Amino acid sequence: MIQSKSIGSKLFNVVNIILMTVLSISCLYPLWYTFCLSVSSKAAANSGQVSFYPVGFSLASYQQIMGDVQFFRSFLISAERTILGTIVTIVILAIFAYPLSKPVSEYRLKNVVMWIVIFCMLFNGGTIPWYITMVNYGLIDSMIGLILCGGVPVFNLILLVNFYRGLPKELMEAAEIDGAGVWTVLVKIVIPCSVPIFATLILFTSVGYWNEYFQGLVLSSNESHYPLQTYIKQMVVNIQTTSLSMDQIEKMDKLSNKSLDAAKVFIAMIPMLVVYPFLQKYFISGIMLGAVKE
Amino acid sequence: MKKKKMISVLLTVSMAASLFAGCGAANTDSAADSKSESTGIQTASENSTVTAGDQAFQKFPEVVEVHIGQAVSATDKLPDGLSVDNNQYTDYLLENFNIKVVADWTAASGNDYTQKVALCIASNTLPDAMTVSREYMLKAAKAGQLYDITDLFQQVQSDQVKEVMDSTGGEAIREASVDGRQYAIPAVEVETGGVQVINVRQDWLDEYGLEAPKTLDDVENIAKVFAEKKPAGEDTVPIAGPDKNTKCYTNFLETGTTTCGFDAVFSANNAYPGLFLKDDSGNVTYGTDSDATRATLERLADWYAKGYIDPEMGTRDSSTELINSGKVGMFFGAWWMVGYGIGDAYRNEPDANWQSYPILTDDGKWNVKLGSSTTGYCVINKNVSEDVAKAIIIMANVLLRDESKFDVSEQPLNFWPVRTLMAPADECEYTYNELIKVLDGETAPEDHAGISTAYKLLSSDVSLVKDTVPGYEKGKQLSISDFSTENFGNFQRMYSLLVGDRPYSTQQVDQKVRSCIFSQTATMEKKWANLWSMENEMVMKIITGKSDISAYDEFIKNWKAEGGDQIIQEVAEES
Amino acid sequence: MKNTTVSAPAFLKKKRNSKTVFNYHIMVLIGMIWLFFFNIVPMFGIVMAFEDYNPMQGLWHSEFIGLENFRYLFSMSDSKRVIINTLVIAVSKLILNVVVPLAFALMLNEIRQLKFKKAVQTIVYLPHFLSWVILASVLLEMFGYRGVFNSLLGFFGIEGKIWFSEESCFRQLIIGSDVWKEFGFNAVIYLAALTGISPELYEAAAIDGCSRWKSVWHITLPGISSTIVVLSILGLGNVLNAGFDQIFNFYSPLVYSTGDILDTWVYRMGLLNVQFSLATAAGLFKSVISFTLIVISYIIAYKAADYKIF
Repeated sequence: MIQSKSIGSKLFNVVNIILMTVLSISCLYPLWYTFCLSVSSKAAANSGQVSFYPVGFSLASYQQIMGDVQFFRSFLISAERTILGTIVTIVILAIFAYPLSKPVSEYRLKNVVMWIVIFCMLFNGGTIPWYITMVNYGLIDSMIGLILCGGVPVFNLILLVNFYRGLPKELMEAAEIDGAGVWTVLVKIVIPCSVPIFATLILFTSVGYWNEYFQGLVLSSNESHYPLQTYIKQMVVNIQTTSLSMDQIEKMDKLSNKSLDAAKVFIAMIPMLVVYPFLQKYFISGIMLGAVKE
Repeated sequence: MKKKKMISVLLTVSMAASLFAGCGAANTDSAADSKSESTGIQTASENSTVTAGDQAFQKFPEVVEVHIGQAVSATDKLPDGLSVDNNQYTDYLLENFNIKVVADWTAASGNDYTQKVALCIASNTLPDAMTVSREYMLKAAKAGQLYDITDLFQQVQSDQVKEVMDSTGGEAIREASVDGRQYAIPAVEVETGGVQVINVRQDWLDEYGLEAPKTLDDVENIAKVFAEKKPAGEDTVPIAGPDKNTKCYTNFLETGTTTCGFDAVFSANNAYPGLFLKDDSGNVTYGTDSDATRATLERLADWYAKGYIDPEMGTRDSSTELINSGKVGMFFGAWWMVGYGIGDAYRNEPDANWQSYPILTDDGKWNVKLGSSTTGYCVINKNVSEDVAKAIIIMANVLLRDESKFDVSEQPLNFWPVRTLMAPADECEYTYNELIKVLDGETAPEDHAGISTAYKLLSSDVSLVKDTVPGYEKGKQLSISDFSTENFGNFQRMYSLLVGDRPYSTQQVDQKVRSCIFSQTATMEKKWANLWSMENEMVMKIITGKSDISAYDEFIKNWKAEGGDQIIQEVAEES
Repeated sequence: MKNTTVSAPAFLKKKRNSKTVFNYHIMVLIGMIWLFFFNIVPMFGIVMAFEDYNPMQGLWHSEFIGLENFRYLFSMSDSKRVIINTLVIAVSKLILNVVVPLAFALMLNEIRQLKFKKAVQTIVYLPHFLSWVILASVLLEMFGYRGVFNSLLGFFGIEGKIWFSEESCFRQLIIGSDVWKEFGFNAVIYLAALTGISPELYEAAAIDGCSRWKSVWHITLPGISSTIVVLSILGLGNVLNAGFDQIFNFYSPLVYSTGDILDTWVYRMGLLNVQFSLATAAGLFKSVISFTLIVISYIIAYKAADYKIF
C-alpha cells in the first residue's frame, strides 16, 4: 500500500500497532490464565493467588488426569462425534446446497425449499418436544443421536449455497455440454472448486460439535456417555450447597480443585487450537458471503 | 425423649453388628429386624416364609427389577469397576431381597438432575423410581403419573420407618400426599436441620476478651471489633454472607436452613420472612410483610454498610470456601456446618475454634424458625407392578435399618439407589445426650451395641466418641483442642453433634415457628417462582445497599398485587 | 470463456433437463430427510403453547386452552423487563458486532508489517473457539472484587466493585464480552471482502493525492458495502437472540432486572419450574418475532437495495 509520511499518519501507525497488540493480549490471556492455573499447586489455585503466572508450579493435575478413565472416554466420544459428525454434515450439505444454488428457472422448487429451511432455522418446539422426539427415535446414548440431533445447520447451508452460486457458471455448463450428469458436475467440478468454503465449514462444524454440551447432557443416560464438554460443564458447574446432604458437603471440600479443572479445560481446548491455524488460511477466501446481485 | 431412651434400653439385645455389604443372606439373619415400640412384634428373618402383614423385609421369590433414575454428586466417585447399579448396596439388595437395581439414567445432582427429572415428567418416561423435590412430585402426581402407595406403604413400611414418620406427627405423610392419597415416600430430616445457630471463632473472641454472643447487639459489637482489629488480615470478613447459590433466608417450601444466610437474625427480631403465619384468630399473614422484617433488613443493611458483612455477599462462588480460608469471624448455619461443612477450615488452621451459639431476642427468648419436615420424595411410576412398588418401599426400609452397617469410606451412601434420608426428628439431640452420657461414664458404649432402632447411627457414634474427644472434661465447654482429628470423618461428625448441635440439644427453645403451609396452592404453582425471585432480589439489594428500604415497601405492594393477596387467601382456606 | 451461451439442440436440452431436475429432487431429498426428522417433527411440540400440557395425556390430548398461556405470559411483571432486556442486549450486540469487527478489519488492513498483521489476525480468533463456560470463569474472576480490573482501578484511586453483579454494568459487560469474543472471527468476513478490492484502486488514489482516510472512505467502504448490508440484514433475525449460553454463565438474581433474557427465563420456567406450556409459549413468541423480522428484512433488502440474500 501507499507510504504516507505525515506525522498524523505515523502517529496513527503507532497507535494502531499498540491497539492491535492490546487486543491480541486480551485474547490470549484467558488461555494463558487457564494454563497457569493448571500448572499451579492446588492450594494456590483454590485461594485465587494465580493471575499472571503459575504459583507453586506443579504437574499434579495432569498426572491426576492421566488416571481419569472418564475423561478419556469423554474425549474419545467427542472426537468420534466431531469427526463423524463433520463428515456426515459436510457430505449432506455439499449435496443439499447444490440444487438450491440454481436459479429458479432451473430448479423451480428452490424457493419453496429455501423458505422451509429458513422456517426451520427460526422455529422450534423447544427442548421438551425435541427431547420426546429423540426418545421416540431411540436416540438416547447413541452416536447417531449426537450427530444428527441438532438438525440441519441452516446457516452453514446458506453460506454454501451462496458460495456455489458465485462459482462461474461457464465451468458447469461446459461440463454439461460434454454430457456430464449432475452428480458428476457436482463431484468433479463444483466441489473441487469449493475447497475454501469446505475448509471453513469443516471448521465451523467441528467447532460446533466439539463445544456442544447441552445435547450431550440431555441425550445421555449417564456420565459414561457424556461428550467432553458435557463432562467439563458438570465438573466446573457450581455445586449448590443448599441441596447437599452433610456427607456430600464433607466430600466436596476435599474435591474442590481449580487447578485440576483448569487442566481438563486446557486439554479440551487443545484439539481446536491445533486444528484452526491449519484451516485459517482458507477462511478469507472461504466466507464469500457477499450477496449476489441479480 | 425419655420414653425413647427407655425403649432403647429395654430393647437392648446383645448382637454383634459386624455386618458389611455383600456378605450374603446371613447378615440379615443376625440383624435385628425392626421392633415396634408399642407392640414389640418380632419380625421373621427373611429366610423363613413371609407372614402376611410383615412384608417390610421380605425376600422376593424371584428377582424383581427396579429401574431408577439416580442423582450422583459431582464429588462422589466409586472405585473403578463399580457403577451406580453395581456396588455394595445393589449387591446387598440383590442377594438379600432379590431386588435388582437397574439405573436407567444418572445425572449430577443439582441443575442437571432437576433438568433430567423435568424432561422425564414432560415426556412421560419416568423410571420406576426416582427422588424429586416437592414441585416435581406435585406436578407428576397431578398429571396422574405416580403410583398411589397410600395402602401399600402402610402395609410394607417397617416399624422403624413408621417411627420416623410418626416423629413428624403425620406431617411427612401429609406432605407426600395429594388430595388425601399418598404418592411418594417422603424423606424426613432431623428437626435441628432447620435450626440456625451462629458460629463464632472462639479463639478470636478470647484474643480480644469478648463474651460469646447472646443477642444481636452482641453480634454487632463483636463484628465491630473484628472489623477494626482484622484478626485475619486486611480482608477479614466479620460475618460471612450468602454466596451466589444460597439465599438470605429460607421460605416455607424448604426444610433445611440457609448456609451463611440470616434466618437467625430475623428470628431474633421476631421476624419470619418466607413463612406463612397463622395467628390465633386464624388470620394468615406472610412473614416477609411485617415491620419486624423491615426493621431487620434495615439493620442488616446497616451492618453491610459498616463493613461487618462480606462485601462480596451474593456473588461469591462459595462462602464455605471463604470460611475455610480462615478469613471469617462469624457465620450462621445449621448444626452440621461447624463439622461437616467446613472441614478444610481445620485442615488449614488446626486450632480454629469454631463454637456454635443460639441468638436470642433482646428479652432473652430463643425463637426458632422451622422448615417443613420432609426434604425430598421418592416417587414411583404409575405403571409399575405391585412387586416393584413394594420393592421400592422395602429399599427404604432396608436403608434405615442397615445404613450404619455399610463401610461408606469408598462407596458413599449417596449410591444407595433412590436414597431417601430418614431420621427421627430428634435424632441429633437424642444422640447428643447419649454421647454426653457415655463421655461422663454414665453409660458404656456396649450398652448400645446391636440395638436397632430408628436412631441408626447411634451405636456407631457411641463406640467412637471417646477416641474422638479425648480432651473431654465434665462441665467444660468443648473446644477444638479437645478433639482428635486422626479419623477426620469421625471428627467432623462428633464436632457437628457435640458443638454444632449443642445449642439445640441443651438450650430451651421458647418458640418454634413453622409455616402454616408447606406446599404450594394453585396460584402459587404459577406465580410463586416469580414472586420468590422478586423477593430475593429485593432483599439482596437492600442489604447490599443497592436500594434503600423503600424498595421493601414497593415490593410488598407489588407482591400483593401480583398474586400475593390471592395466595394468602388460598393459604387461609387450605391450612 | 466469452461465448458460453453455445446452446445444445433444444430437444437434447429438454431431455437432459428432466433428468437433471429429477437428480436435483434426489439431492434435495437427502437434505430434507434430515430436516424432516430432526427439525420438522419436533416442531409439532409448538401445540403445547396452546394447551395446558399434561404429560400423561400427551401432546395431542392435553386440554386446549387457546391463547391463555400468552395472556398469562404478558400479564406477568417479568415479561416486560425480560423483553426489554432481550431487545437492548440483542440489538446492541447486533450493531456492535457489525461495527467493531469492521473497524478492526479496516485498522488491521492498514498495518504494513505483514508478520505482525498475520499474528494479530490469528490470535484474535482465539476467544471464538472457547466456550462461555470457560470464558465466564475467567472473566468473573478478572472483574471480581479482588480481580485484576479492580487492582488497575486501585491505581487511580477508584473503588472497586463486583462488576458482574452491578445492575447498571451487567448489560454493558455482557455486550462487551460478546463483542470481544467474536470480533476477531467476525472480522474474517470483512477481511475477505477487503481482499476483493483491487490494489490498483488504492494506487490510483495515492497518485491523486488521497489521504488514508479518504481512500478508506471512497474506496474501501464502498468496496465492502454489500457485505456490510448483508451481514446487518442477516443479523436482524437474531434480534431476540441475546445469547443464552453467555448470560446463563454470568447472571445471578442480583442482576435479573437488567440481565434476564427470554431464553434464560424460558429455561427457568420450563426445566426448573416445570411450566412446560408457558415456556413453549414464550419460545414461540420469540420465533414468531424473529421470523417476521427475517421476512421483513428479506423484502427490504430485495425491494430497496435489490439484494437477494438466499
